[in-house]
This record gives sequence, C-alpha cells and structure tokens, in this order.
Amino acid sequence: MKLVSRRTFLKTAATTAAAAAVAPGLSRDWLGLAYAGTKGYFESEFGITDSLCQKVLAKALSKGGDFADLYFEHSISNYVVLEDGKVNQAYSDVALGVGIRTVKGDQVGYGFTQELDENAMLAAASTAATIADSKGKGVPAKFASLKLEDYYPLKSPLTLVPLESKLPLVQSINDKCFALSPLVIKVNAGFQDQQKRTLVVTSDGEKAEDLLPRVILYANVVAEKNGRRERAGWNLGGRRDFSYYTPAVVEEVAKTAVDRAVVLFDAVQPPAGEMPVVLGPGLTGILLHEAIGHGMEADFNRKNVSTYCTMIGKQVAEPFVTIIDDGTIPNLSGSLNVDDEGTPGQKTVLVDKGILSSYMHDKISARHYKVKPTGNGRRQNYQHYVQPRMRNTYMLPGSATPEDVIKSVDKGIYVQDVANGQVKIGEGDFAFYVSQGWMVENGKLTNPIKDINIMGNGPKMLRNVTMVANDLQMHRGGGGTCGKGGQGVPVGFGMPTTLVKSMTVGGVKA
Amino acid sequence: MNKEMLDLAASSIKAAKSAGADDCRVQISRERFVEISYRERKPETIKEASSRGLFIEIFANGRYSGQSTSDLRKEPLQAFISNAVATTKLLAEDPFRSLPDPKYYAGRAQLDLQILDPSYAQLTPEARHSIVKTMEDSCLSLGGDKVISVTAEQYDSYRESVMLSSNGFEGYRESTEYQVGASMSARDEGDRRPMGYYYAGAVSRKTMPRPEEIGALAAKRTLSLFGGKKIQTETLPIIVENQNVPRLLGAFLQAMSGRSIQQKQSFLSDKKGQKVGSDQFTLIDDPLLAGGLGSRLYDSDGFAAKERTMVESGVLNDFYVDWYYGRKLGWEPTTGRSSNLIIPPGKRSVEEIMKDLGRGIYITGFIGGNSNSTTGDSSIGIFGQLFEKGEPVQAIAEMNIADNHLKFWNKLAEVGNDPWVYSSQRSPSLVFTDVVVSGV
Repeated sequence: MKLVSRRTFLKTAATTAAAAAVAPGLSRDWLGLAYAGTKGYFESEFGITDSLCQKVLAKALSKGGDFADLYFEHSISNYVVLEDGKVNQAYSDVALGVGIRTVKGDQVGYGFTQELDENAMLAAASTAATIADSKGKGVPAKFASLKLEDYYPLKSPLTLVPLESKLPLVQSINDKCFALSPLVIKVNAGFQDQQKRTLVVTSDGEKAEDLLPRVILYANVVAEKNGRRERAGWNLGGRRDFSYYTPAVVEEVAKTAVDRAVVLFDAVQPPAGEMPVVLGPGLTGILLHEAIGHGMEADFNRKNVSTYCTMIGKQVAEPFVTIIDDGTIPNLSGSLNVDDEGTPGQKTVLVDKGILSSYMHDKISARHYKVKPTGNGRRQNYQHYVQPRMRNTYMLPGSATPEDVIKSVDKGIYVQDVANGQVKIGEGDFAFYVSQGWMVENGKLTNPIKDINIMGNGPKMLRNVTMVANDLQMHRGGGGTCGKGGQGVPVGFGMPTTLVKSMTVGGVKA
Repeated sequence: MNKEMLDLAASSIKAAKSAGADDCRVQISRERFVEISYRERKPETIKEASSRGLFIEIFANGRYSGQSTSDLRKEPLQAFISNAVATTKLLAEDPFRSLPDPKYYAGRAQLDLQILDPSYAQLTPEARHSIVKTMEDSCLSLGGDKVISVTAEQYDSYRESVMLSSNGFEGYRESTEYQVGASMSARDEGDRRPMGYYYAGAVSRKTMPRPEEIGALAAKRTLSLFGGKKIQTETLPIIVENQNVPRLLGAFLQAMSGRSIQQKQSFLSDKKGQKVGSDQFTLIDDPLLAGGLGSRLYDSDGFAAKERTMVESGVLNDFYVDWYYGRKLGWEPTTGRSSNLIIPPGKRSVEEIMKDLGRGIYITGFIGGNSNSTTGDSSIGIFGQLFEKGEPVQAIAEMNIADNHLKFWNKLAEVGNDPWVYSSQRSPSLVFTDVVVSGV
C-alpha cells in the first residue's frame, strides 16, 4: 500500500493506492474549540466573516477570472498503535489553513496560508490572482448557505472520544488475533481517526460547511508455520463515529485478518498468461476504479488524453453492466455531503446499461462541457487545488448467482482481495495487485493464490464482462486512498461477483 | 542557522519538560515553494505558498508519542505541547523508547553537502515561465502531428529545518530542490492515446538537464510507446531502464528495515552476511554525496551520517536499524532510513548489452504491482520494447513479471554504465536473465 508523493506530480497517469491516512488522539480540554456546532464554526472560532471572505475573494479576482473560491480546513487527526502486545505509540496532527483558487477558463491560480488573518489571506489571494490578467470582478457581499444532506450523521464528534476509550479497543484486537490461531506470532493493530471541518466560500455567492469524520481500525497479522511466515491484514471504518466499533466489528477485523494470513500457507502460484478472472464481491471494485473510473474523470477527457474521451453515448459493455460513482451512500469512505468546491453530494451513473453516460466533473470541466458539476471536485487538503476525483465506485448487481459465475469457468482465477492498482489513462492499460484469491478449476475454487498482479485494458475489460451476479457488496474498509497528481483522497469500492472472460495473470510459470 | 526556529525549538522543549516530559525531540521546518505548469502554450496552474510545521516527540514515564501541528502561535503551541505530554502518559509503557545515546551524535562530518543552490534567490518568475515554456515547445516540436496534449511543469522549493533534543542534539539543514518535467499524450491506432513523460530532480539548477532536452525526451518516450501490445508469455532476459530501478528496489529496502525484521515481516531477516543476489549486485548508501537529493549530515535519530555498503557483490552487509528497533532487536543501530542509494555503474552501454543479448525486453516503465516484504514474492506490470538481434522491434504493453526477490536479484547479470542522477536513488540500467514475462 503506497501513498503517492507530491514528487510524482508529473506522472499524470493516475494511480490508486489503498493506504491509511495518519491520524490520532488529543484530549478533550485542548480540543474544546473543535466541539462547536458545524454552522458558523469558522466564524465563531477564527473570525471568518462574510465581509472578510468578500475582501479575500475580491483580491483573488482583482485581475479578472471566471470565479474564485476559498477552502478553509481545520483537521484533527489521531493515531494509536499497538506493537508487541501493547498500545505504546500515539501520533496526532493538527492542520489549519485556507486554500484560495482563482479560475480562468481551464487555468488555475492557487495560494494557501496556514494563518487565518486578513493580511496572510490577502497575500495568498494575490498569488492566486496572477493567473488572470484583465480587469477585476465584483463579488457578492453575502453568501447563502447551501442546504445539504447528511450522509455521515454523528452521534458524537470524534474529538470527544478520549484516548482512554481507544486503548482497550486496540488492545482487544491484539488479544483476539492471538486467541484465534496458535500460528499467529505478531500483531500490529491501530486505530486512526480524523475530524475534518471545512468551509467553502465561492464568488458565486454560496458557502457550504461540512464536518467529515473518518475512522479506521486495523489488524495486521504475521503467522508462522513450519518455519514459513505469511502476513495479512484487514480493516473496517469509513465516515463513522466511534460507536461503530461494537464487539462484533472488532471480532470481524481480527478474524478476517487471521483467516487471511493462515490460508496463505496453502497458497500456490498460478500459471502466467491470459485466462478468465472471476472478481469476488466487495473490494475488487478497485478494478472498476482503475479500468474505467480514472479514465472517466473529466479533466483527462477535456484534455483529450483519456481513452474514453470519444466514447460518451457509445456502447462499451453488455447491457447488464451499470457502473456508478456515488457520494451519497451513508458512512462509506468516499461519501461527501458536499464536494471541496461547494457542489452538493450526489451520485453519477458512468455506464448506464452498457452505454457510457457521464464523466465525473468539477466546476472547470462542467463549464467546459456546459453541464452541471457532478460533485466530484475534490482535494487532499487546503494545500491543494481541486481535481475531478472518484467517490465510491461500484457496479450494480446482475441476475446470476455467484455460484453460477464460478461454475462457468474451467480454468482461471478467483480474486478475493486486491491491495492496490494503477492505470495508464491514455492507453487504458491497468494493473491491480491480488493479495489473495483462489484457483478456479472445473467450476470450483481449489487452491488459494496470493501476490499476483493482473493486467488488463479498460475498454477491453469492460467488453469482456460476461456475467454479473446478484451479490453486490460495498467494501466497508476505512483505508482506501486514491492518489492522483500528488494528492490522496479517501475513496470506496463495491462489486458483485463478476466474470471477466480474459485478463493477463502475472504468474511465475511460463 | 535560523535563530528564530532554534529558539522556538528550545522553548518547545522547555514547555514539554515543564509539562512533565522526561525528554523530548523537536523538529521544526518551513518551506517556500513555487509550482508552474503550462499546457497549450499558456499557464495551466500557478501555485505558490509557504508552509511550516512542528513535530515533537515526547518521552514521559517510559512512554512515547509524536505530535505535529502547523499552528506555531505561542499560546496554542503551549497548550498543544501540554496536551501532548498528558496524552503520552496514558499510553502503555515501552522500555525500549528513549532518546539515543548521545555518543551516536558525535562525529558529524564537517563538510558542505552542496544541497543549497546559492542562485536560488535569483530565480525570477520570468525565468520559471521561460523554463516551462521551453520544455513545452521542445516536446511539441518533436511530437509533431501526433501530439494530443503536452504539459510541462516546474517545481522549486527552499526549505530549512532544525532538530533539537533534550539530551544535547542540535542540527540545522537548509536546502533547495528543483523538479522539472514534461508529459505528452499522443494519437496512436484506435482508441489508444499513449502518454509518456520525462522528469528530473536536483538540488541545484546547474546540475539539471536543459529544458529542451527534457521536453524532447518526453516526446521521444511517448512515441516509443506506439503500437504497444502484449506478446506470448515466455522466459526472456530483461533490461530495466535506470530511472525505473527504484520501483524495483522498494520492497527489497523495506525488508532491510529494522522494523520489518523485528516485526517478523522481512524475507531478509536471517540473511545478513549471506548471498542475496548475484556478484553484480552492490548497493551503497552514501549520505555525504555532494549535491545528492538524499544527502544529510544526520538522520532523524540525530546519528552522524556515514557511508555504508549495504550489499556487496551480492552479500547482504547491513540493515537499516534505527535507535528504537536496534534496542528492541538488541542490535547495534545503523540508521533508520536510506539516504542516497547508489548501484555502482558497469562498463557497457544499454545498446551494447542489447546487441549481446539478442532478444529480450527493455522495460521503460512499471504499472501497478506490489511486493510482499514478508515472503519476498513480487509481481508487477511492465511496458517497454521487445528487442531482437539487439534492436527494438515492438512496443510491449499489458505484460507482467513476477518472482521472489531472493531469486530475482540472483538473476542480475550485468549493470549498465548509465547511472540516472536525477533522484536520490542513483542506479544504472540493470540486466536480468531468465525472467518469466507474462503476456498472452
């Protein structure tokens, strides 16, 4: 699992990587300021008034431009770690700042500051303004608050959860993992939480506030058998509060991690070459993310660099294939009440019954294509400008049963877990890494397999989807992070059991 | 030395000790950077900002935590530090956590690493735009009518940091960095729109390639992807182009870390002093390299940096063991992370080697893939050129190589004479024989 560093900004081919954001535990006294109600948080805590926003936006548009926006962020992240049987490490991070963007056509000027005083903000706005070179534009004096749905209601803010409550949660994961199998020799476990408050104020006269929670509870297990070691892990989380972690959830994390480590002792290497691939339900949605998702992000299409840029309205898959990117599913990692440039959360059908139907837009591409933005304008934090990004991407269920799908394969592989993937936008070639799966022989799952990369081509793969089962599962992990242009954002995945009739499996036997 | 930063670090240590910390270590950094990109002969993005941050590690009652903030105002910072100490005391005790023995701070090299470009302050906005425009022009010109889109970018930064510990460590670092590159997207057969790029990084402008060269290489690399397709699965020699070697080395390095070893997640844990690769495989860690992107006088523990030969003629000599995991393992610590990694160059060029090999694959990029540092199993997508009779004959795509690291590095047959110097990992192209390349 890798995060994409800013130094990869030149590699505009998008990459994803499931990785975990660092977060962790400050006590309640110091975090008093973070309890304030969502509405008016930045005004009450930092003096961010409409008139101040008006001044800063006026500066950002002082040399012209189509529009400008301000993105305020205050994030508190905590991370407690268990190693060698004890919760003996804690990390935390506080991030506060505002990013200021001026947009002219498809050109972007951007500045940010970590100081929320007028002078610092005006200086950052001056930087953003340099992208334009004409006459200044007026901005509204008042900003209307957007009415938003709440896709991640919280019983209690994460900043109210004391460290004392997190420690036994993580300790219990460790104890359960060891109790589940005598083969377990090491357990790493941890709990991460992040509470991110945002305020977007736009020169169109709108403002939107949000409080985005994110939690992850994970276990990584090393098992040993006859001198051989194997490792596997699991996590559950998303945009949730602490009450999600019932004993049953803790048990599920521990059991899944241990089961997945222990089965690897029987794993074999599959042969190399082209063969049918069955995608199990849930996390294998990473394949959609790579094979079609990135190529449907509108920035790659308005620049004509995506393999999908001429395919809108065309049939790209069988009529039983529908693929959706959705910010409205409660509590998933990629869900958004509002995106990072003030467009309310929504869902976007990318492939509708086999027909390519819509790209994922931010405001820049929406203007380019003369359509409404789809709520996909996202950024890692206030230090970055918005790009079109995925949220939760999944395929709708079909009519087959999972058993039918497996039965239809004489010789191939079944993919259970996918660790990461990457795509080349222009060619559509993609890869995803199978951390765990099974051989399929004569319609049955036989030996487990592991650590294999699978290669494919997006448009070709879509045409090769020949069966879709009725068992759509959304992955409930909290760690899915997609990297693009040096920015990581949380995303979700979902998939029903699906047959792709041919892909290249990177085994070791010729 | 920046006195203001040093004073802030000292007052943070004082605040932590007043709040009940036994020891602490503080790092403060600040950066000013500019990023410019061009597309269609006009600026696509202009971004410029300053950022700063403080990271404090607290050691209290045998317990440990690390906390960071960007809010360096006096009162919020005091409150932050008090809270950090209080939080630390709630954790489980860890007898292995402490600041290092100060003897490891001693012996710091007294030399100029040449990581600060003295001409950085003279880099004007006009000069930045000119560099980016030149890259774009050069790429567009070589790409000709095949071009769909070209983006050229430049990033430059000035950064300074201090590190101070309560047991006597004091360090200051001031550096500059440049990253420039261009990417091109082009029209191939059917719906394929290959995108290629070339980029380079360095600490000073004078050691960077010329912008014309970067643009031209981006175009050339993109055009070389035309007609990419997979071929039959077979066992072939491969040449991994120099700038792609770091991706290959990643998992090997991860398995060399003290944490991986202590947590029983390393396929190398019992291999010290043993052959883990062929005689051609030598890997040097050189933190004192003049002008290196990974150069440093001390590491994050404060240990005085020194050159180490990590792998010598295929024998694993050393691990990356920091103070904490050294104590846990009962091993002498070395350093916790790599600096400049160098694979010494061989004698022949890639062209000469290709002629000798006859048929094989020249890998110019990886896609996806991953490695399991516990077992060494690895699988990764590749693209590049099939060569026959020593000449490139066909672009390949959608293919893959898979192996176990312990076997794979034994297949290293030759090292090229072309070290790529625009990264902290300076490797020449590497030649491996008998590799299964999966395709059709």
